[in-house]
Amino acid sequence: MPVQSPPAFHGFGLGLRVPHYADFIATQQPVDFVEVISENFMVDGGRPLDIIERVRERYRVALHGVSMNLGSVDEVDSGYLRRLRALARRVDPLWISDHVSWTGIDGFNSHDLLPLPYTEEALDALVANVSIAQDVLGRALVLENPSTYIAFADSMMTEAAFLSALCERTGCYLLLDVNNIYVSATNHGRHTDDWLQGLPLERVRQVHLAGHSQGRDMLIDTHDAPVPDPVWDLYAKFASRLGQVATMIERDDHIPPLGVLLAEVQHAREIAASSARRAA
Amino acid sequence: MSLHELQRRFAASVAGQHESTDLDARGMRVYANNYRGQLIATLRDTYAKTRLWLGDDDFDLAAGRYVDANAPSSWTLDAYGLGFPEMLEADYADDPDIGELAWLDGALRRAFGTRDAEAIGPEELVADDWERVAFVFVPSVRFRHLRSNAVAIWSALANEVMPPAAICPDDGRGVRVWRRDLSPQFASMDAGECACLDLALAGATFGEICELLSRPYPSLRVAAEAGRLLRSWVSDGLIETLRQE
Repeated sequence: MPVQSPPAFHGFGLGLRVPHYADFIATQQPVDFVEVISENFMVDGGRPLDIIERVRERYRVALHGVSMNLGSVDEVDSGYLRRLRALARRVDPLWISDHVSWTGIDGFNSHDLLPLPYTEEALDALVANVSIAQDVLGRALVLENPSTYIAFADSMMTEAAFLSALCERTGCYLLLDVNNIYVSATNHGRHTDDWLQGLPLERVRQVHLAGHSQGRDMLIDTHDAPVPDPVWDLYAKFASRLGQVATMIERDDHIPPLGVLLAEVQHAREIAASSARRAA
Repeated sequence: MSLHELQRRFAASVAGQHESTDLDARGMRVYANNYRGQLIATLRDTYAKTRLWLGDDDFDLAAGRYVDANAPSSWTLDAYGLGFPEMLEADYADDPDIGELAWLDGALRRAFGTRDAEAIGPEELVADDWERVAFVFVPSVRFRHLRSNAVAIWSALANEVMPPAAICPDDGRGVRVWRRDLSPQFASMDAGECACLDLALAGATFGEICELLSRPYPSLRVAAEAGRLLRSWVSDGLIETLRQE
């Protein structure tokens, strides 16, 4: 099947979560797109499909998955891909995204985004699964850099080099999670500038902005707090270099009233506009 | 170490089955906590009324035991915890209300995303030979026998009123769960309806259901009782189509 590239789409949006479904369906909210968690709508029928269709009547939708398990040595689940393809046909999304990570192996599913060593072997496994998924879905995937809490001694390349090679070998695109860069760089004692060095920014189609929390030993990517200043600062630093990308606020827990999140969306717009003016 | 071996060890460590000495303990603690926290949160969400009934501490202890014994295998968290009611029934064998409440929580959740199906209306209750008519139910229909008053407890908890004390009438009653349009529903059933629904879901014909009803009811009342049941199933939106055997 021919693989279709995601469109160049510039806009500001929000990760749509249950407490705000009704607000988004009842009234046009000031966003250019919404992102939904794919798995929440990969069902046989009922309210979830009714909701996604009503949301789609008003907004462009990006499908964001957490269970494709692309980095596993196991082959990507064909049943999962068929369901995702059916959802994509129903929604006609801007793109389909998931993560540069793995979730399980040998029939075990952790339901967490587990880290990969940045080795040729891991790259080969990831490339094989991304290629299968892109063939089944008929479109290039948009893949997100992970937050990581562990570094592997075996890693032979930086995360940026690993992502760059992944894009080159599969034709996939990137979802740059600015919070994840901050969390990973901090947890591994690196500067964010070093972390970004060599990242193919021209492949970025979407940006996530989110919050984190301070765990006992390291930062945890909890998505349960406002976007903190260091993440805004990092976004401001390279927003002008990203060009036409979709940017959104991602909150998964301790979800505040919609207005609070829309104010964060507006703040992202202002930072992007200001960065563009400075670059002009 | 090969990637396969690394991922195998990593997964075992995350699931608490094996502590990996070659992986950074601080980072592995985060992944292990994420794993356990996510699964317990899923059980809390799916079995919300059971949690209210048991209390947070006892519920979390039970959820922790379940997580220890049941690693997830599906890509969807909707599939996690299907065996939780069964575990509670075994753990609280003298308190059947607890496992039955969990069954009701779980059945209502599963009804939420089942395949859409249009139920027939009363005007479509037409057949040439009723004796040989069987029923195709909408896919969300589930039922079970109950020993306790779990339905009354669930309703009170849902309505945020004082729930009744648990009792065990053990009188053959049951509960059925289904989805009407987009909303999961449930209804109590007496022993007769339980037996008939059990039979009908297994593919029995209307004639066979009438035969079952002829045991408790005098022959003159069998047709009326069978008709009453059938009308209630249709008016509740339980039947997708009639099938002539």
